[in-house]
Amino acid sequence: MDYTLYIASVMGAIAVYLMMPRRGFTPRKIGALLGAVTLGALWLILARSAGVGAGMPGGAWTYYYIFSAVAIASAVRVITHTRPVYSALWFVMVVLASAGLFLLLDAEFMAFAMVIIYGGAILVTYVFVIMLAAQSSGAEDDAAAPVYDRVAREPVAGVATGFLLLAVLLSVLFQPMQPNNAVASDDQAIIANVLTGRAEERLTQQIRDPKQQKMYADAVAKPDRLTNTQRVGMDLFAKHPLGLELAGVILLISLVGAVVIAKTKVEAEAAHSA
Amino acid sequence: MDTPLDTLTLSHFLLTGAVLFVLGVIGFVTRRNLIIMFLCTEMMFQGVVVSLAAFSRLHLHVTGQTFVIFVLTIAAAEAALALGLVVLLFRRKRTLDAEAWSQMSG
Amino acid sequence: MDLEWAKLIPWIAALGAVLCGICCMNRRLRKLAAPVCIGSLGLSFLLSVLVAPGVHRFDPQMPADKLAKAHVVKAFEWIHVGGLKADFAYFLDPLTVLMLFVVTGVGTLVAIYAAGYMKGDRGYARFFAGICLFIFTMTTLVMADNLLLLYLGWEGVGLCSYLLIGYYYDKPSAVAAAKKAFIVNRVGDLGFAIGIFWIYFSYNTVSISEVVRIAAAGDVPGTDSAKTWIPFLLMLGAFGKSAQLPLYVWLPDAMEGPTPVSALIHAATMVTAGVYMIARLLPVFVLSPYALPTVATIGGVTALFAATIALCQYDIKRIYAYSTISQLGYMFLGVGALSAVGGVFHLFTHAFFKALLFLTAGSVMHALAGQVDLRKMSGLRHKMPITAILMLIGCLALSGFPFITAGFYSKDLILASALEKGLSEHNPLYTVLAVVGLLTALLTAFYTFRLWFRVFTGPVEYEMGDQHHGDEHGHGHTETGKIRVVHHHEPHEMPWLMNAPLVVLALGAIFAGFFGVGEYHGWVGGSLDGSTAHIAAPGHGDTAPLTLLGMNLHTAMMVISSVIAIVGITAAAYYHWLNRAAAEQFAERFPRLVRLLADKYYVDELYHAVIVKPLRVIGELCYVFDRLVIDGLVSAVTLVPKGLGWAAKCAQTGALQGYGLGMAIGATVVVLLVIIKVL
Repeated sequence: MDYTLYIASVMGAIAVYLMMPRRGFTPRKIGALLGAVTLGALWLILARSAGVGAGMPGGAWTYYYIFSAVAIASAVRVITHTRPVYSALWFVMVVLASAGLFLLLDAEFMAFAMVIIYGGAILVTYVFVIMLAAQSSGAEDDAAAPVYDRVAREPVAGVATGFLLLAVLLSVLFQPMQPNNAVASDDQAIIANVLTGRAEERLTQQIRDPKQQKMYADAVAKPDRLTNTQRVGMDLFAKHPLGLELAGVILLISLVGAVVIAKTKVEAEAAHSA
Repeated sequence: MDTPLDTLTLSHFLLTGAVLFVLGVIGFVTRRNLIIMFLCTEMMFQGVVVSLAAFSRLHLHVTGQTFVIFVLTIAAAEAALALGLVVLLFRRKRTLDAEAWSQMSG
Repeated sequence: MDLEWAKLIPWIAALGAVLCGICCMNRRLRKLAAPVCIGSLGLSFLLSVLVAPGVHRFDPQMPADKLAKAHVVKAFEWIHVGGLKADFAYFLDPLTVLMLFVVTGVGTLVAIYAAGYMKGDRGYARFFAGICLFIFTMTTLVMADNLLLLYLGWEGVGLCSYLLIGYYYDKPSAVAAAKKAFIVNRVGDLGFAIGIFWIYFSYNTVSISEVVRIAAAGDVPGTDSAKTWIPFLLMLGAFGKSAQLPLYVWLPDAMEGPTPVSALIHAATMVTAGVYMIARLLPVFVLSPYALPTVATIGGVTALFAATIALCQYDIKRIYAYSTISQLGYMFLGVGALSAVGGVFHLFTHAFFKALLFLTAGSVMHALAGQVDLRKMSGLRHKMPITAILMLIGCLALSGFPFITAGFYSKDLILASALEKGLSEHNPLYTVLAVVGLLTALLTAFYTFRLWFRVFTGPVEYEMGDQHHGDEHGHGHTETGKIRVVHHHEPHEMPWLMNAPLVVLALGAIFAGFFGVGEYHGWVGGSLDGSTAHIAAPGHGDTAPLTLLGMNLHTAMMVISSVIAIVGITAAAYYHWLNRAAAEQFAERFPRLVRLLADKYYVDELYHAVIVKPLRVIGELCYVFDRLVIDGLVSAVTLVPKGLGWAAKCAQTGALQGYGLGMAIGATVVVLLVIIKVL
């Protein structure tokens, strides 16, 4: 099984390498095909290695494959596209696809936060900066883009390293989890019977304020229990107040920093040919 | 096939997350446009975030999602500062090529 | 008065030093330094006087036979390490009290004199801070109950001496003299320190009272070598501090310091510390059969040696410096002849007349703008009559003029003791030393009056020196001193602020002798009875009184030394007052001898060739070794990080993606390591 994993990694690496922008002919279609085959093969290997069930509702699996494929394909385009604006737009696709994955994972709040903050705010900033810093070439074809966008830097080394890392990670992810393994079966039992309700119990126990406790108990008593947003809020404010404060401080500092940077006056040096 | 394709496991999501992360790494290393390089770091964030959400679902524990909020915070702060700096650098050299800034070579 | 008050004696001086130090900081405060210094020293002196009766009282705590008048006053705990106990405790016995009188009394008088003498000097407050600090360390030295504290005071006075010799630190010769004094003293102090260590190892205590008690009882736990050699090591320290052969070379050069410093430190007090130390530890010295004869021999030889040098010097301060060395030799001779009373008595009287002589010499220098050359002054009697009389008194005392001066009695006591010891024990060494002492007395009388007659009699001729003191009495020049108006001012008498302490000293130079006259050597002898200095001395009157020339030995000695003093003074009067040409003719008959004496037996040159130069060469070699080997090794070591840095430098391409690649590879390796561990 390990061999198949490594072969898949090598194939993926070749696929990405083929799609990397370079001088002359870029066999992008061959690469895409190879990549798709590799991904499919990986899924097949994965299905055979029998991991722990995540308890998805029935029809969710199709959505997983769709979103996952879109996310990965878009990611490849992000790193292979020769025009920054398109890279940014493809990244929006990555964000949207992973938001879909979040929905599958019962993380609705995260999904929408992702779309709003990443797809909305951050990406708009990127596009804005790209526009600001773009060379003044109106042409749409790739040839007009600056050379540093058109030619990847040491693609072999980068791709090799990246997929070496991937192979290592996958060898962890694809650990064969034998069904007859006592620990694994215990885990399954725990997850099936106990863990589902664990979060709420823990939360109710940890809340000291009787008023809140009552509210929480009421919420737990309801069949639908808490919504995802409520849970995230509870967790965030009840368990991570310090982290929350620090996050606020970081945002404030970055705000101030951004203002300072924006106000800094710099002299343009002698034209630097890339 | 013991387990059919329609059974989703944790590994599925981790696979997606890992692939996104690795593609981000490759992008960071191979691309020479400063903005794209930062975009690739955002993509690495995406990979991590997907993994976090998957673990959160596995353990039915929302702290994983809470962490995603922190990641978002850092990403936002980083985007603001890094892009500000990129604009500054661009104004100085009129180029986004990362290799224009290699005076630090030993 | 309660003895507890004695604790304050050093600390008042220390407080004075601190206050004077504060006065250094502000130009306007500077003038306050002198009153502060005089006040604190005067207070110390007053306390010493008030404490004295308490010390002389019999202490029932102490064993009746030994140390009957010794008291220990503890100020605070200082060092307690293992078996070593050294407190800041003060040992009070009559010897201490005597030394305190000398130190604080002469110190006060010199401070009063210096208030006028140093007026207008740049480092006015610094000078008085140094004097106060010196008195603090010197009183600590004489009051110390343990050898460690004594050593602290010992080094402290050395430091103060260094600071005050180098007082004119912009004068290279003064700086060199200060260094010389300090370094020569190191040689002696090394011996002293080793001696203290050895005392601790063999006596198992550093407390003076206990050491003396053990030594007096004779049951020293150590070996014979300890008994024999400890005194020699201690002696080395004493010879360094008290400027005896072969370590005397620093004292003449120490005259580079201001004259009050020479008077106080290098004549009256610090240089007598060696005599004090031997007198204090006399029982320890008695244990070694060779120690005291050695002390006496060195003392006698030094006395003669320095006196001969003094004959041919022309620098008035240097003449007195050699005279001091010579007189210290007398003291060692006295102590070495087991007559601690004689040694300490001479120390006591010498403090008065030598301080007086130095201060009057200072007055002369002051009047002649720093002129110290004997050949360039004459007949000053008419210009400065009071100074002339005061110095005459000092000279009479130094030359041992019979009956009316203190020096006569104390010198006589030493010589008589030596002769007595020589005759009664049939020990020719002491007899010879007594004769040497008499010869020295003759030379002393001669060179002392040579100076006096040269300076004060004869035709009125003088040549001004080049140091115009910025004074404010009588003849001012421009305040800033930027434009030095070369004015030919007349030598003038000193103001009474400066002469008053001299009068007190002169009275002491005359009358201090009577303290030591009479049964059991009078007050000095009586008071030292029961101190550590005395317990080793033989009992009184248990041997038949010796006779010499048909008279009692002491009487005979008095007659002989009277004749010698008068002969010396007469000779000096003839050659240097009545017929100065005769002196020239006399000197021309022995040109080589005169040259040898004038050049101080070439001892400095000898030391330079034998000790300084080889040390220099070794120093140069060490420098080369340090440069080539040590530095080379260090440089070799630095090559390692340099090489590592060079290797690491290659990885620093400056390309952002390169660093990213490195991080990715690193992450891969880390994950791989984790997996290998897990699997």
